[in-house]
Order: sequence, then C-alpha cells, then structure tokens
Amino acid sequence: MSLSVLVVDDSAMARKMLIRALPPAWDITITQAANGVEALSHYRQGGVDVIFLDLTMPEMDGYQVLETLRHEDLNCLVIVVSADIQAAAQARVRAMGAIAFLKKPVDPVEVRAVLKEYGLVL
Amino acid sequence: MTMDFISDDQREALQEVANIGMGQAGASIAQVLGEFVELSVPQIRAVDAAEIPAALVALAGDGIASAVRQAFLGELRGEAIVIFSEHSAHDLAELMSYGDALDAPASRELLLDISNVLVGACLGGIAELLRAEIGFSAPSLLADQVSTHQLLQAEAIAARCALLVEVRFGLERRVFRCHLIILMAEDAVAALQRALDRFIEEL
Repeated sequence: MSLSVLVVDDSAMARKMLIRALPPAWDITITQAANGVEALSHYRQGGVDVIFLDLTMPEMDGYQVLETLRHEDLNCLVIVVSADIQAAAQARVRAMGAIAFLKKPVDPVEVRAVLKEYGLVL
Repeated sequence: MTMDFISDDQREALQEVANIGMGQAGASIAQVLGEFVELSVPQIRAVDAAEIPAALVALAGDGIASAVRQAFLGELRGEAIVIFSEHSAHDLAELMSYGDALDAPASRELLLDISNVLVGACLGGIAELLRAEIGFSAPSLLADQVSTHQLLQAEAIAARCALLVEVRFGLERRVFRCHLIILMAEDAVAALQRALDRFIEEL
C-alpha cells in the first residue's frame, strides 16, 4: 500500500532537493506544504504517514509544528530536515518527538538508512 | 538599478545554498561559544552601490556597531562583512572566559576570530555546494564601535551595484547579534549566476 508523505519547506527548491533524495522505488504519494500552517492543515485532513519537516520557516516554524503535533494525536513519523545542524537543535527536535534529523543538503544514503531503520523501505 | 539581475530560479537556489551555508556557520560558532545560535531566513537583494551604506543601517539598526571585512577570491569573488552589535564583543568575552581581562586589542582580536569562523563556514559551505573553488583574505577590522551610519562609506565601494545576501545570528539569553553580509559586484555576479545555473541543472 502506498504511503502518504508530506514534504514541508518554505523553499520550493529545498522541497525538490529532498524529493530527489528519496528512494526512487519507494511507493509513496507526495504532498507539499510551504509552511507550518499549511502542513498542519494537510495533516489534520488525515492519512499522512511520514512528514519531512524543515525548521526555519515563516508563518509557523518546524518547532511550532512539532509542539502542536505533540498536543494532538501524533500518529505519523516526523523526520526533521534542516540546515540548522547544531547538536542542540538535533537534540531539541528529537525531544519533541521527531524520529530523525537529516541535515541539508540531504544525502540519499542517509535518507534510506533512516527509512530502513523504521521499516519504511526494505 | 532593477532588482532582477538574477532570475527567480537563481535567487531561490542562492537562498537555499545561503541557508545551508548559514547553518554550517551557526553550528561552527555554536561549538566555539558553547551556546545555542538562533538563525534567520537569509535575505537576498540587489542594491546600488550608493544604497549599500543605508541598507546596512536598515539591517543592523540605529546604534553602535563594529564590522569586520574579509574578501573571498577564486571562482566566486566578493566581500563578506560581519557587523557586530554594540555589546557583542563583551558577550563574546564572557563566553570565552576572558572576564575583565578584555582590553581593546583582545576584544578586536575576538571579533576577527569569530568573523573568520563565520565567513569560512558560511562561504565555504556555499562554495562547496556550488562546486566553486574559493580562498579567503585575512579578516580586517572595518569599523570599531562606530555609528551604524558610518560603517561603510559609499566611496569605499568599487562596484556600481551589488548583490547583498544577509544572514543573522543571535544567541539565546544574550544580547549578542551579528549579521553576515555578502557583497558581490556586477561582474562577479555573472560567475555566481553560472554556478547557480549549474547547480539548478544538476538538481
């Protein structure tokens, strides 16, 4: 069954870079959002399995999205994708419920490793 | 001077590579200072040389600041200017445990060191993404605790217009603020455009 993946980043170019780094044979349907508000609105419609979430965004940033998801029923996997690669940023988002942290520019090998760890790809 | 001497695609690519460069710079100073660094979304615009001093005031705000200048050379050429808000040197000294021992020369040295780390990581990251070879000049103090209106005089700018890329760093629980500004003259922008086009094509 195809998984529903939500890619959240204010930069269309960054979304494109991430989507290109996903495993080509991964059976998914991709939805995109340009900020946290749009992301939550997609999420609340239901059915989202995996969210790739940028941290620095206008309107509502990635931290606020994680905070909100934590107070709603978080039943999807959140992978943070960020240029902010500080160790403290990584620790913060993990504490807020993200399952993994990928640094930009996203390395396809790292994406595959994370997806494999959570049984999302073979 | 119109805003569009780079295309929308080029601007967006530059925004993203600047974002990644800024992240690397932020992580580098976070490590040096042992503090969490707050990052902003990079701002990019084209400005006339005559507008640059005013643009710097708009970025840094009215007040007192110091600035360090460092040139980058090679496939991409331009100048990086790091503007430190008034009490930033004092904050840095505390974080680096200089305590009260911070005299003026040591304070200036600290600003040069931090600039060097920021510029090296940020521009180095951008150049690596764009697969361009660059080198750096030694950092030099451009202004020492002056009004932001006097940071940079229009006469000191050789180019007719410039591309201005601004990234901002702040520390939680501290007043420390600095801006990293990348200035590239018209002819250097052509090389940047080629590098950005190559980057976009390979996406």
